[in-house]
Amino acid sequence: MTRTSEDTASRLRTLVYAGRFAEKVSSAELPEGCKVLSEWEVLPFQLAALKRATTLIVLDLFSFPFESMTREQWDVPLVVILPSGFDPSFLSAVFEEAVLGRLGFFDRVATADRDLWEELRLRYRWAASQRIELHCSLPEDVAAEICGLLEQEAAAPISSGEDYERIQYDLDKAVHRVQSEALGPQFAAARGVLAEDVPFEALEVGVGVGRWVPELNPANIRFTGLDFSGEMIQAARADFPEGRFDLLEENLIFPYAEESFDLAFTVSVLRHNPTSAKRTLISEMWRVTRPGGRLMFLEDFVSRRRTLGSTIYPMSIGAFVDLVLEATAGRVVLEHFEALRYPHDPFFRGGLLSLSKIGTPQVW
Amino acid sequence: MPDNEFYAPDDIDLLRMENELLAFEVRFLKARLGQPAKIPGSSTSLNRLAYLEEAERDLTLLLRRLLGSPLGPVLRRSKSFRTLEQKYLHSPRLPGSSSPERLAYLEEAERDLILLLRRMSSMPFGRVLRRRKAFRTLQQRYL
Repeated sequence: MTRTSEDTASRLRTLVYAGRFAEKVSSAELPEGCKVLSEWEVLPFQLAALKRATTLIVLDLFSFPFESMTREQWDVPLVVILPSGFDPSFLSAVFEEAVLGRLGFFDRVATADRDLWEELRLRYRWAASQRIELHCSLPEDVAAEICGLLEQEAAAPISSGEDYERIQYDLDKAVHRVQSEALGPQFAAARGVLAEDVPFEALEVGVGVGRWVPELNPANIRFTGLDFSGEMIQAARADFPEGRFDLLEENLIFPYAEESFDLAFTVSVLRHNPTSAKRTLISEMWRVTRPGGRLMFLEDFVSRRRTLGSTIYPMSIGAFVDLVLEATAGRVVLEHFEALRYPHDPFFRGGLLSLSKIGTPQVW
Repeated sequence: MPDNEFYAPDDIDLLRMENELLAFEVRFLKARLGQPAKIPGSSTSLNRLAYLEEAERDLTLLLRRLLGSPLGPVLRRSKSFRTLEQKYLHSPRLPGSSSPERLAYLEEAERDLILLLRRMSSMPFGRVLRRRKAFRTLQQRYL
């Protein structure tokens, strides 16, 4: 699938917050669709303009009013340029709460300093591919370099992996935010029952490029990802060298022993599988989870069958619950359920089920 | 839903599926919440809380802009400025929007902002600052 240049121009609405460097950056040659903002154009009441942006580039971190941004405005993907000449401790102290600690998988960080990037990446669990390596230092050159890069990326053909993971809806970051707000407390609840020093093993089935890895703290959680796609496993390994990622064979049997994990979860994966494959995957998730451990499913339960990109096999919540009971022989307890509605979607579409596995441990 | 991989829901089916989803959630919540959840009361109105939070945000932004301006190194020589910087930029914020500690912290932030604006207005470069619309807005709002 390749986007046309017309599509690209209509999609690319990049705001460049230049702050104190606005005069210099305004004179730079930026691609069509990029708008430069000065300090006085981002007063809180003017931030509504962000809604129409596809990306916000923040060149002048010191003067941007991050604290005034609403939850919806945070849904616009950010590119943050780290100011040069400051050490990681200073940047964390000043910007952690305002922005650095809030950057997620769909945001980018631009810096020329490799050491600074590595230290901050480990601290905030960013993916290696979130970095934009700068080759210049003047604000006008940096703006041109980043806008050019975004333009190139918008025009590039979409790989099958990217289609699956990044463009399943038009509002990727917004959808991720809604899912994350639902999953976060459930991850904490699953982890919460164990003492801090007891290792906690989490398995994600259909890990893709690893967008849920940063949500699980590697300090007290060992993460394992499983996927059908070798290409995506490679990408996830490159992005999160500290994680473990394995390939799922065609027979759908997980390469792990019984009761190996405290949590097995999947996000928007089962809907891409026909019922028989769903049954096998659920059954395998149950098999590798320890008694008392959690199984979590975040899926869409309101959808049409479509085959654009990858096939969607619709299922209602009732049908899915029946399938779970069948695949686990009823040896689960429903701990939590919530319906999710994604921004700008007329339907409540998503549903998060968190289940406890019941039974006596077979492995000691 | 049967093992039919060619099932293709139409609009009515979509509504039915959504209805089923929401009904399932209601059933779950009813089962879990036998009693209505208690809503913690607060003696501070939400408007006042929102105002205080805005004051805190304005103070943080003002400090950050001052720090990034050419005046930053000069201002950092002042112990009072360093204290403000430490308190509002370098220390983590108190979590929880309704706790009494958070309220006390926000009220202190408002007082600090008023004091800072007063001092800035009376400084030699106060006149220069008043030429800026944003500074005049802050003055009108908090002084």
